[in-house]
Amino acid sequence: MATEVLWWIFAAATVLLSAGVVFSRSVIHSAIFLIGSLAGVGAMYVFLMVDFLALVQFLIYGGAVTVLILLALMLTRTGATGTPEATSGSQAPFALIAGGGLLAILIGVAVATKWPGDVDNRPSQISLEAISKALFVDYGPPFIIASVLLLVALVGAIILARQEEGE
Amino acid sequence: MVPLENYLVLSAILFSLGVYGVLARRNAVLVLMSVELMLNAVSLNFVAFAAYLDPAKITGAIFAVFVITVAAAEVGLALAIVIRLFRNRGTSNVDEAALLKW
Repeated sequence: MATEVLWWIFAAATVLLSAGVVFSRSVIHSAIFLIGSLAGVGAMYVFLMVDFLALVQFLIYGGAVTVLILLALMLTRTGATGTPEATSGSQAPFALIAGGGLLAILIGVAVATKWPGDVDNRPSQISLEAISKALFVDYGPPFIIASVLLLVALVGAIILARQEEGE
Repeated sequence: MVPLENYLVLSAILFSLGVYGVLARRNAVLVLMSVELMLNAVSLNFVAFAAYLDPAKITGAIFAVFVITVAAAEVGLALAIVIRLFRNRGTSNVDEAALLKW
């Protein structure tokens, strides 16, 4: 029972913070809201008993990715800080229609579908051991490809962002 | 324990907010943040399905790990492109980067 109450609190906080990300007028506020929203999804992983994933979420998303986004925001500031920026384009009403329509369809489908399996089936603890075995043994080749992808992305980002001669 | 549908609805809300953000925002970094929201919604879906429908197999959790990896690579590259765009054109708005439009 207590878990359910906590779940609803965290879900409401996650939704509100995510709405803050897309509706906030200030880009910096959006980035701060994003940290909270990503942490909220991490809390959902805790509720789903996947502690390792929650840890990864907090470390990589809450730490690294948001710091990267904040740095990029600071490097691409235009004008004086006093003027509010026009963050949404004139297409915003149509975007609202598209997002709302998608939301209605997705929720309708999720609620209407009869999911197989026991609904009362509570998620069981997924051990770190099981995850590491799956990651390194069963899914070894994709893991290696992912590490190559990270290396290529790292080198590519450095080449794209570096200051060239004569600039 | 909350039923599976709760997670699906939560993830649908997050995804739709991300879609709205991608379509409505002008700043490229804000578009990127909305994409992050969508990626998170999808991996939350993966993990919820894995935990509720087939707890013995942890494929959903593994998939979420790979989604996070690819998202990290994507954020690094995209921010480098945004910084390059800002340096060349003096703006980071996606609707002003229209060199290929004719």
